[in-house]
Amino acid sequence: MSFEMWAEKYRPKSLNQMVNQKDIVERLESFAKARNVPHCIFAGPPGTGKTTAALCLAHDLYGEAYRENLMELNASDERGINVVRATVKTFARVRTLGEIPFKILILDEADNMTGDAQQALRRTMERYTGTCRFVLIANYSGKIIEPIQSRCAPFRFTYLSKEEQEVHIKYIAEKEKVDLTEDGVNAIYDVCRGDLRRAINSLQAAASLGKPITSETVYAVVGHAHPADVRAMMKIAMDGNFVEARKRLREMILKFGVAGSDLIKQIHRELFRLDIPENWKINLAEIVGDVDFRLVEGADEEVQLSAFLARLTESSAKLKGG
Amino acid sequence: MHTAWTTKHKPRTVAEVVGNRVAIGTLKQWLQSWGMGVPKQHAAFLHGPPGVGKTVTVEALASDLAMELIEKNASDYRTKEKITQFAGLASQYRGFFGKERIILLDEMDGVYGNVDRGAIPAITKIIRDARCPIILIANDFWDKKFVSFRDKKKYLIIEFKKPPAGQVLKHLTKICVREGIAFEEEALKFIAQRSEGDVRSAVNDLQALTQGKKQLAYDDVSWLAYRDRKDVIFSVLRLVLYGKTCDTAKQAADLADVDLDMLFEWIYENAPYHFNVPSELKEAMEALAIADLYRARVRRTRHWKLLRYVIDFMTAGVAMARDKSKPSGWVPFRFPQRIRTLSASRPERILKAGIGKKIKGRMHLSVSSAQKDVLPYLKVIFEHNPLMAAGLTCWFNFSEEEVNYIAGGKRRAKEILKAID
Repeated sequence: MSFEMWAEKYRPKSLNQMVNQKDIVERLESFAKARNVPHCIFAGPPGTGKTTAALCLAHDLYGEAYRENLMELNASDERGINVVRATVKTFARVRTLGEIPFKILILDEADNMTGDAQQALRRTMERYTGTCRFVLIANYSGKIIEPIQSRCAPFRFTYLSKEEQEVHIKYIAEKEKVDLTEDGVNAIYDVCRGDLRRAINSLQAAASLGKPITSETVYAVVGHAHPADVRAMMKIAMDGNFVEARKRLREMILKFGVAGSDLIKQIHRELFRLDIPENWKINLAEIVGDVDFRLVEGADEEVQLSAFLARLTESSAKLKGG
Repeated sequence: MHTAWTTKHKPRTVAEVVGNRVAIGTLKQWLQSWGMGVPKQHAAFLHGPPGVGKTVTVEALASDLAMELIEKNASDYRTKEKITQFAGLASQYRGFFGKERIILLDEMDGVYGNVDRGAIPAITKIIRDARCPIILIANDFWDKKFVSFRDKKKYLIIEFKKPPAGQVLKHLTKICVREGIAFEEEALKFIAQRSEGDVRSAVNDLQALTQGKKQLAYDDVSWLAYRDRKDVIFSVLRLVLYGKTCDTAKQAADLADVDLDMLFEWIYENAPYHFNVPSELKEAMEALAIADLYRARVRRTRHWKLLRYVIDFMTAGVAMARDKSKPSGWVPFRFPQRIRTLSASRPERILKAGIGKKIKGRMHLSVSSAQKDVLPYLKVIFEHNPLMAAGLTCWFNFSEEEVNYIAGGKRRAKEILKAID
């Protein structure tokens, strides 16, 4: 068994090792061959290979010593305007000595940058195009300001298909000598839905139990890793224990840092699986929508969601009372 | 290990005592005068509010002047009989080992003023015959029972005053430095000011707030502000939760001496415990949600006029939710748990951020996605597979404390750390 995170160990080094996003990989390979790269935006959901593709591109361009010509920044951690001004500029303006005249700067989670920082970035991109090419990585390209988008070649990453994810997971399981059942493979796809990082992390965590990996182990591990058990919370509320339900909600938000918008999404999904009359579901959906909109308006997540939980408690009491 | 800091950091010499320099000087002079024969005033009466350093001063002076201190507590002189038992001690200036002696009668407030018991007359008699200095300490010198000590010719009366917050702050700072606690200056200032010159309570607060931690932030202490105002907040809560009319409930906002956000937290925390009919509970929580929504709108638009709706819904809105709800028995009011949880989990958040940074360094992720997407899986691995966990610990370069946290317990962490060697 290996002593690294498998998601890192099996991260492709070169573009030709990538299992998915065939079209994108082809275009990037042609950039590498031509030894020229435009500014790029890689947009798409998590775990689909955006960061990997950027790293591979740099590797294929510069060879083994690619780290010298590469800078990786994460906008979520350093999203202020000053970082763009200082770090990015210092890196971008210094010319490299190699045959390729430009360096590559990967700006991960760029959609988390403030508007001001993006404006500053736009000028930097223009000024130092000769010495530095930018790869902006984002979940939503829509959050990148127009002027930057128009200067970049766009690439849309999509979730891996079931087959693509399976191939990769099975390959790792074989290399790591893990006993992975077919049933386990399906379960991993069921919970990860083409998010490969999550799939590999789930595989490794399941493997750490030291048993053959079945759907049971996968669900146990994932359930453990994601305590945001929205369904349980809703059930407690419907059993009439509002105070306990609110406590769960509070734990999810404060202790596990689950975002209110994620909770809403899950509540909305679970809502339609509840054992209540069909027409009540749609009434409750309206209320969830209301809460969602209030959160957009800046209201407090816990206060709003607990009002919804109180409504669940009331609904189920009505149901029992007839 | 867990000694009270009021003992551990007690001034050893009089120079370390907080404040009251003049009073201390007077007392010291008087004690030294005993070296040249018995002075006119056989006893000193120290008085002042609790925790300002009266007893500590006497103890430190005795140590500085190398005198033998014989301390008596309230229980030793409740009655005439008990007092006469130690009368003999006062008849000699030098003790058994040749040291000059001081007799300290602390906590005099506890002595029965009742004439029948004869305690006070017995003490005055001992003082009259005393051949060594006797010091009496009480909070309220002006109590009727102490009237016989008001004679300034016979008794040296010294008042101890509350030291200013700045001096208390200095003392707290010194303790933090000795204990190796990193602190925000604001946090200590807050404790110092709140103590209103009661150094002992300030030190106790400091210890309680830093229990098991090596840092102290303003957030950790600010909620103390509300601790002392319980009475006010409780009656306000009663108005909101049980008010019969909108006006009575709305009064609460004016009566409360906490800010509106804090009042909201109190109501939001307590309301669910006081509504037992589900439909009324729903109404109350919805009223709070609407109040919160208006609060957000005020913040966003700066239209302060909207504030009145915040108040309407968080007070009258909650009160009007009640129809048949009647909590069974007495339901105690609770301190807003959200605020407590936030400050309690602060060290944890710092630890998690450190772990997130190390994951980021290895896995091309932001700190927050590292915490969200990788840490939960690490926890599973660290709980179940010490060998793999050991490898990962090296790979990520986690510290022992971090391993403790991820593994969720010292025992498992030990196994992992052993597997590394």
